[in-house]
Amino acid sequence: MRLIFKNLNVLRSTLNAISMSFEVKEIIASAWTNLPNLFDFSSFGVFLKDGLTLYLYEEESCPVSFTQEVTKNMVKVFSMLGEETISTDKINLQVEKRKFRPGQMAMDPHGSLKSHLTLPLAVEGEMVGSISLNSDQANAFDAQDLQFFSVIGYQVSSTLKHFQRFSSIKNIAIYDTLTNLYNRRYFEERFGLEAQKSFYSGAPLSLVMVDIDHFKKVNDTFGHTEGDKVLCEISSLLKTSVRKKDTVARYGGEEFILILPEAGIDESSMIAERVRKLIESTPFDVGKARINLTVSLGISNFPAHRPRSKEDLIKMADLALYDAKRSGRNKVCIFFPGQK
Amino acid sequence: MGALRKEGDKTVGSSDLVLMLYSNLLQEIWEVVSALIGEAILALLLASTVRKLGDKYPFLTFLKVSEEGVSWEELRENSRGLYPTEIHRGLQSLITHLFHLFSALAEGVISRELFPKVFPKVREAERIISQK
Repeated sequence: MRLIFKNLNVLRSTLNAISMSFEVKEIIASAWTNLPNLFDFSSFGVFLKDGLTLYLYEEESCPVSFTQEVTKNMVKVFSMLGEETISTDKINLQVEKRKFRPGQMAMDPHGSLKSHLTLPLAVEGEMVGSISLNSDQANAFDAQDLQFFSVIGYQVSSTLKHFQRFSSIKNIAIYDTLTNLYNRRYFEERFGLEAQKSFYSGAPLSLVMVDIDHFKKVNDTFGHTEGDKVLCEISSLLKTSVRKKDTVARYGGEEFILILPEAGIDESSMIAERVRKLIESTPFDVGKARINLTVSLGISNFPAHRPRSKEDLIKMADLALYDAKRSGRNKVCIFFPGQK
Repeated sequence: MGALRKEGDKTVGSSDLVLMLYSNLLQEIWEVVSALIGEAILALLLASTVRKLGDKYPFLTFLKVSEEGVSWEELRENSRGLYPTEIHRGLQSLITHLFHLFSALAEGVISRELFPKVFPKVREAERIISQK
């Protein structure tokens, strides 16, 4: 006889844990932690179509052959439901093992997949993946297991739906829709954090302001659509020129800004010069023409330029950029004290 | 409702009988399976089955599936000119495919619950339809 009330309580806390998760891996881990209290199984799998990732959480004694069988079965069922054939070789398999069966109940090293429950994960009517409970025992699951597992599947789908909505709102809030670079709002937030960190620890921090030379001419000659294409290409070049820890944002119009944490004047000059040379040497296809463009860059640095606030550091980079423009463009200029 | 006529006899009555038998059958399946896997997943499976069979039996695409259930209105309207046997074959394929999916998802778990309640009705539907 099943202890139904105990199971309902376990189910309730499992659902609660899933709904409180903030990342896909966290959802799966929450389910995984609680499932052994509800079902007797050998492995639990979550397959996500996006990235073709299969997270498999298995009993420690699961043999490799069992893992392969489960993978094959999950892919087969998903292909059948998703109406598209997916090859097992393309699956990004992430296996985690944990001992949740007593020693004497360890799996037979030749154990094979004897029963499973596999359910689709759907977000707004679209199949985004599947979840599965697998066992090396025949007839391991009954109707009540299926009912409980479908409720868990439903909760996983709902939480994924929230993520999807949240991440699209988040994307709108932090990315520039044209260039896909961070937007000015995100820059302000990120720069605030980096400045606070540097002002507190004394670690260097540089800002590089970048402006495309004579960009107005591109728009006037070739039209705004072509101008937008140039902005996107330059954005890509900027992203490839910086380090992993740097932030590239669109500051406005044809102006960009780079936050370079832990970069002194030498390092930031090197990065700025790299950007300048790369753009100067890249031909841009605009309409039917191929043109060359240049950029001007201004650098400011903490602590070298002794800014009293983060706003000061922006102002200094802006003044340095103005200097680069005034002295002939296609240049990198570093702020110097007394510059106005 | 009159008995089914021979193939070629496109009377409204015979098509209606086939549709009635299958709508009752699908209703029964819906009640049993939705209690096991939930309406959302069942609707997804049904919609996927309709899509899959839609090329072979285009009239099936008029079956409207949602989490609230299956709506037969449009299908009824759009299958008036069809042979009852064609409607029967399409809907029979739909049921067979659904059973196939249930078995792929949960092996015998759904079938064990479904068969005692639904299988006699499937046989009964087939018997009535096969009557000349």
